[in-house]
Amino acid sequence: MRQGLGLGPLILLWALPLLGSLGLALVPIGDGAAWAALFDHPQLRHGIALSLWSGTAATAAALICTLIIAAGLYRSRLWNRLQAFSAAGLALPHLAFAIGFALLIAPGGLLARLLAGGESPPQWVTAQDPLGLSLIVALTLKEIPFLLSLVWSGLARGDFAAGLDGQWRAARSLGHGPGSIWLRVVQPQVLRRLFWPILIVWVYGTTVVDMALVIGPTQPPTFAVVIWHDLNDADAASNARGAAGAIFLTLVLAGLIALSITAWRLALKLRQAFQTSGPSRLPVPRTAAAFVGAVTVCLYAVTFGLLLLMSFAPRWPYPLLWPEHLSAVAWSGLLANGSPLMLSLVLAAASAGAALVAVVLWFETQPERRDRWLLGLALAALGLPQVLVAAGQYRLFLDIDFTGTLAGLFLAHLTPVLAYVAVVLAGPYRALDPRYAAVARSLRAGPFHVWWRVKAPLLRGALAMAGAVGFSVSMVQFVPAQLIAAGRFATLPMEALTLSSGGNRALTAAYALALTLPPLLAFTMAGLAGRPRWR
Amino acid sequence: MALSLEHLSIALNGRTLIAPFSLVIQPGEIVTLMGPSGSGKSSLLSLIAGELELPFDATGEVDLDSKPLGGLAPEARNIGRLFQDDLLFPHLTAGQNLLFGMPRGPKREREAAMQAALQDAGLSGFAERAPHTLSGGERSRVALMRALLARPAAMLLDEPFNKLDASLRASLRGFVFAHLAARAIPCLLVTHDRADAPPGSRILTIGESGEIRDA
Repeated sequence: MRQGLGLGPLILLWALPLLGSLGLALVPIGDGAAWAALFDHPQLRHGIALSLWSGTAATAAALICTLIIAAGLYRSRLWNRLQAFSAAGLALPHLAFAIGFALLIAPGGLLARLLAGGESPPQWVTAQDPLGLSLIVALTLKEIPFLLSLVWSGLARGDFAAGLDGQWRAARSLGHGPGSIWLRVVQPQVLRRLFWPILIVWVYGTTVVDMALVIGPTQPPTFAVVIWHDLNDADAASNARGAAGAIFLTLVLAGLIALSITAWRLALKLRQAFQTSGPSRLPVPRTAAAFVGAVTVCLYAVTFGLLLLMSFAPRWPYPLLWPEHLSAVAWSGLLANGSPLMLSLVLAAASAGAALVAVVLWFETQPERRDRWLLGLALAALGLPQVLVAAGQYRLFLDIDFTGTLAGLFLAHLTPVLAYVAVVLAGPYRALDPRYAAVARSLRAGPFHVWWRVKAPLLRGALAMAGAVGFSVSMVQFVPAQLIAAGRFATLPMEALTLSSGGNRALTAAYALALTLPPLLAFTMAGLAGRPRWR
Repeated sequence: MALSLEHLSIALNGRTLIAPFSLVIQPGEIVTLMGPSGSGKSSLLSLIAGELELPFDATGEVDLDSKPLGGLAPEARNIGRLFQDDLLFPHLTAGQNLLFGMPRGPKREREAAMQAALQDAGLSGFAERAPHTLSGGERSRVALMRALLARPAAMLLDEPFNKLDASLRASLRGFVFAHLAARAIPCLLVTHDRADAPPGSRILTIGESGEIRDA
């Protein structure tokens, strides 16, 4: 009985809609006309090539930068600060970053004023360049903090860290310098655990919609954006073509993943020869790490600093390096039309709260061996191309009359939010020593009392962090939200995206920042809540 | 190829761990240093290996073959070490572990040396095995061969038999000492178990105030 009650919310609100969406996303497989239309699509080939190029280049660049930073800082005094830096980078919404970065490099942007000058903006093709270079830079910068935090936490795990410490000393006594030990001992053991996260980063990069709409190429756009335009079309045939396109993109990626697994194995073989070729005094790349790290931090700082300045600069004509005057008119405009902000905040709080409750109920009532179902479904929600899940969800919600309703909007936000909350919380929740609860029960505490007085305080940091992650994920949802809202509701990311293609730079910047501040606040509060009570 | 320690001393936060002492270990000689845990034995090995860091405060000089080692990085000292744990690299096979520290050279010669070392250790056919599939004694033997294949000019042994069960200890001691003697390199063994010392060898102890004297 209790087991069933604990499962209820999670199954009803999340698992069933998600499974239904995935099922319906595959329906167009049998739609011959849609496939014919897809393969006739003039932007198909170029779009796929652009998607694969930008996603692959960004993933490779992010991985290389991450490994350079990690190699240079490992075992240095800065290493322990790295986690805070990458957490800050993770908390900043990528959509806001893309908007700010586009404003920075656009022909009329600050960069052009500094480098080109002149009376009118130069004929630069920077943001939205046809090769997708600006999209690649933005994606790379977004993924570096993510990969870095994975490397860091992978290396920080207790017994693994102790083992590596011993291996480090053993390798030095065998004649290897620090750089050689990083390459031959540490990095291989870290990379082994990074295979699936790297693939998820790659799938995200090749299928991203919101960032590509802001800063990606337009004529033609990446394939995910081609699909996106089809899904948003009023014409049913275009919708079907878009849904088939989402399946096609997923199949292409799946095929490439199979290929990449083979390539990975081959690379491992080649690496073995390198690992055993004998001692080398290679130093660590400190200068390169300092350079890459500084450029990353600077680009983040300049981008968000510029957003802040622009949001207070209603008039900032070219080629002035500083606005003519500062005023908060954009911010008062944003607050005067406060409903997107309110709606986003309410949706984020509601979906994060509901996800926390549902996931905690699952952990409290289900045995640990069932977690793989929960986590498998969560990874499907997060790892599959967003356009595929969203296309299925759109179909499902049309069928049950949920499009254009608040309930539908809430469920569309809950899908990724709960998945993230489950992934973030599973480790800490299951790692809690069960004997604390057993002791409390032996002291005659009831189940709720045990949870509230013993487990919740012990898990405070993890619960707060999971809540903050859920909240931030909800704040930046664009693809599913836009489809399900069906024009009846507007959330912050939708408004920010619409504005980013217009000319009101101050208002665009204000919206991008309004998207940034609540997640930042949530992560800061979670960080404070997670501090140990005693040191 | 003697290892000589001159006026070495170690202090931690003003407290003397090892009082100044000097010692010369001749090629092929194994000197045993005994002391309870926390007495600074391992810190002394770290100092000789070049790994002692702040907040430890060390003075004195380490010479290997009359060359001072002061200021050299651990990997540049040519001093081999065995630790309490075997510390085989888990991502490499037993054979790859042996190749890891072997000086660079033609691949065929290195492979042959690796196979010969495995045979020496009674582990023929173990080259492709993953470390976690080996028994404790087998792992310890691979660790010793790995250290020796790096052709060290001196060896430091940090309680290498400590974590083995009693029946394995005796046979592994014999194995280690025989191989060290065959290579005629100076060796400092640190332990808290007198039975670990090779028979008839020189034994030093660390006193309460850090003074080192013959037992």
